[in-house]
Amino acid sequence: MTPSCLTPHLSRLTRLVFCAVLASCATPEPRTPGSATGGTLVILTTGDADVLFPPAGAVTTSADVSGLIFSRLAELTSDLNTVDDAGFRPSLARSWEHADSTTLVFHLDPHARWHDGVPVRAADVAFSFGVYRDTLVASRFSPNLAAIDSVTVRDTLTVVYHFARWYPEQVYDATYHTKVLPKHLLDTIPPARLSSAAFGRSPVGSGPFRFVRWDAGTGIEVAADTSHFLGRPQLDRVVWRVVPDFGAAVSALLAGEGDALAIIPQAELRDRVRASPDLRLVPYASNGVAYVAFNLKGRRGQGVHPIFGDRDVRRAIVMGVNRTAVVRSLFGAEGEVPVGPTARAQWIWSDSILQLRYDPREAGRLLDARGWLTRPSDGLRERAGVPLRFTLLLPTTSRARQDAAVLVQAQLRAIGVDMRLEPLEFALFEQRSAQKDFDAIFQSRTLDASPVGILQLFGSEGARQSNYGSFASPVFDSLTARAIAAPTRAAARPLWRQAIGTLNDDAAAVFLFSPPFSAAVHRRFEGVSIRPDEWLATVAEWSVPPQARLPRDR
Amino acid sequence: MLTYLVRRLALAAVTTAAVVSLTFALVHLAPGAPFLAGAEGRFVPPETVERQRRSFGLDQPLGTQFVRYVANLARGDLGESFSRRRPVADVLGDALPNTLLLGGAALVLSLVFGIGLGIAQATRAGTWADTTLGALSLALYSVPSFWLGLMLMLVFGEWLRWLPLTGMNAAVGAPATWAGRTFDVLRHLVLPALTLALVNGAAIARFHRAAMLEALGTDFIRAARGRGLGEGRVVLRHALRSALAPAITLAGLSVPALLTGSVLVESVFGWPGMGRVAYEAIFARDYNVITAVAVVAGVLVALGNLLADVGVAWADPRVRRR
Repeated sequence: MTPSCLTPHLSRLTRLVFCAVLASCATPEPRTPGSATGGTLVILTTGDADVLFPPAGAVTTSADVSGLIFSRLAELTSDLNTVDDAGFRPSLARSWEHADSTTLVFHLDPHARWHDGVPVRAADVAFSFGVYRDTLVASRFSPNLAAIDSVTVRDTLTVVYHFARWYPEQVYDATYHTKVLPKHLLDTIPPARLSSAAFGRSPVGSGPFRFVRWDAGTGIEVAADTSHFLGRPQLDRVVWRVVPDFGAAVSALLAGEGDALAIIPQAELRDRVRASPDLRLVPYASNGVAYVAFNLKGRRGQGVHPIFGDRDVRRAIVMGVNRTAVVRSLFGAEGEVPVGPTARAQWIWSDSILQLRYDPREAGRLLDARGWLTRPSDGLRERAGVPLRFTLLLPTTSRARQDAAVLVQAQLRAIGVDMRLEPLEFALFEQRSAQKDFDAIFQSRTLDASPVGILQLFGSEGARQSNYGSFASPVFDSLTARAIAAPTRAAARPLWRQAIGTLNDDAAAVFLFSPPFSAAVHRRFEGVSIRPDEWLATVAEWSVPPQARLPRDR
Repeated sequence: MLTYLVRRLALAAVTTAAVVSLTFALVHLAPGAPFLAGAEGRFVPPETVERQRRSFGLDQPLGTQFVRYVANLARGDLGESFSRRRPVADVLGDALPNTLLLGGAALVLSLVFGIGLGIAQATRAGTWADTTLGALSLALYSVPSFWLGLMLMLVFGEWLRWLPLTGMNAAVGAPATWAGRTFDVLRHLVLPALTLALVNGAAIARFHRAAMLEALGTDFIRAARGRGLGEGRVVLRHALRSALAPAITLAGLSVPALLTGSVLVESVFGWPGMGRVAYEAIFARDYNVITAVAVVAGVLVALGNLLADVGVAWADPRVRRR
């Protein structure tokens, strides 16, 4: 995004932002516990946490547990509106305002306390920002904070974020990526030792639940913070139980050893849950997308790929894949064909986005026109004696991707394209993808709430990083830059959709499936709603009616 | 006997040193690299990966890393886990006792089951009972341990609800007394230990049947019977001791199989042992943990072989005299 692209909005901002408080937020709505407080939620998880120090946690369970122990300044609401300030509700910050186009001021809730009783202060927020940005901590969230120049303390309850430039997702970047950390417990630890400090095994936060215990490899327990400044959670405690095998985890659920499982990846396991009188499936919008990216530059990013350098050939391959059939075969009616590098959970999703439809006849015509002609001997195509053949890299850890690859292989063979499969152990797969050492790669990504991450996947600025296929399109870059700068969601939506349409038209990848997301939850829990980006974000509002309680709830 | 023990211990030490060197070289030279896999399929920026590599000294030449590792190992420092952000000694300290408990229980059960089945078959050799038990042991020997585990879970956990399915203690409401906690762990131990024991015991049974048949056909057994000893005493007191050596050797040799087999069984039953630690470390290319697990496994295997040799020497005086 360049400064010039902001110009159209500045006069409007001058009126709306500079002269007045743009976003003075509603006061937080404290939870109002009634007689129904109590109950235990036992979550089955397939992996243990690595460390409960939010900047360093790299696995899902760590994020889930930390999400209950630590707080953000503000929380996204359920529609994941990352652009408008109305998309956030107060948490540690009682309110906030845009002082000018690059200055965001947060006012902390004076009642907020750490679980050891010490008040949460502005210095904690500034300290946390420093930790996340510290190169010695090497947090994976650090790049998300690149647009924030500094964070300063105005007084004990006021903290000021200074941005390098104006953009609409300032509140999102200031609040979403960082959990506020207790300065008084961490500031004596050298930054390089923070990730491995004892704090990460026994954390103290300011979230609705406080840490109780962690039995390595077995599970973690947190208990309700009964004096939490937003009101005590309805449940008494949440326990994570590690069961690495999904089939065994579902068996344990059915046997009553657990209450919830975040995702059940296989249809047959979901059917077992459906058949249980004690459990229910809670579907929520998927934020995952799996796609075959073409390497436009050839192996290790050198030169131009002899097949995928040709836009028409890419388009032919995309049109030769019946994505609907793949999704139906893998997930039945539950899966979804993605409209691009986005998912249902993101606010930019629209079924009307331009896509290349399945059209094997047109695919064949395009290939003929580019000189890739069918050999009578085996039906495969070649040009000047060179077969139309490429290798697809995929990880052995993903059953869905392996199954989908076999289906795509057969579909492409029908239009004369010889796709070979190269399944690799996960670490090796990641290494080869980072080195761009492949023809085509079957990637799967969990998308952030903000669509800006799409730039990393297909934008020119992501070419060095997770734009694995080195796709580059000035039109796409320009449209996304305008979308990012658009002041409201309504203004940004059409631009994002146009950008994705451009990407599809250029056939940057085959966007194959969005896996269905369904959590299994015991029926005795009420008030269960799931925010797609963090499935436990609303767990403080879940409850168990007294008459439905099990012995472990008491 | 002392010389014998010293010789065996020296051999175990050399074996362990070789395991350390080989594992260190292999895990570092193997394709794939740590820190690349982001949480929930999210991308990890190359700068972050490089910073993390530097912080663990992985940017140094391999020789330098090895010298540093061996020097630290000599001081008892196994390094820090890349993925768990804590000392490897602590990681193994949590997991090893659990694996030893599971492996030990499985070993005892498999010996009891295998030897019992071997005796039952040998004393009924050629009958339908022998054939049926032989088919049973062959079937158990052929079954993958994780599948057997899932079946046991289905029957005893999900359908009958007699036994807990996962973990090594109750997720909520752990008993307050020591006896209560011990009983709780034992209940959780039954299914995973049984899974390992049935597969391993089936192998022991097949060997032990043959050894018992050989023993029952020897002159001293005929003499014992001729002296009027009861059949039970002949089988259990005389033939069994004579036939124990192969079973003990096999039990010693099955220690590595119990360790490797426990990788899957620990995953299925959520047992927090070394097998799972190793599996996750390999997945994350957590070099320090992988090497340490190999060292511990090497020591355990060497120890298992040593104990087997000592056991055979105890059971068979001819071995002691060699």
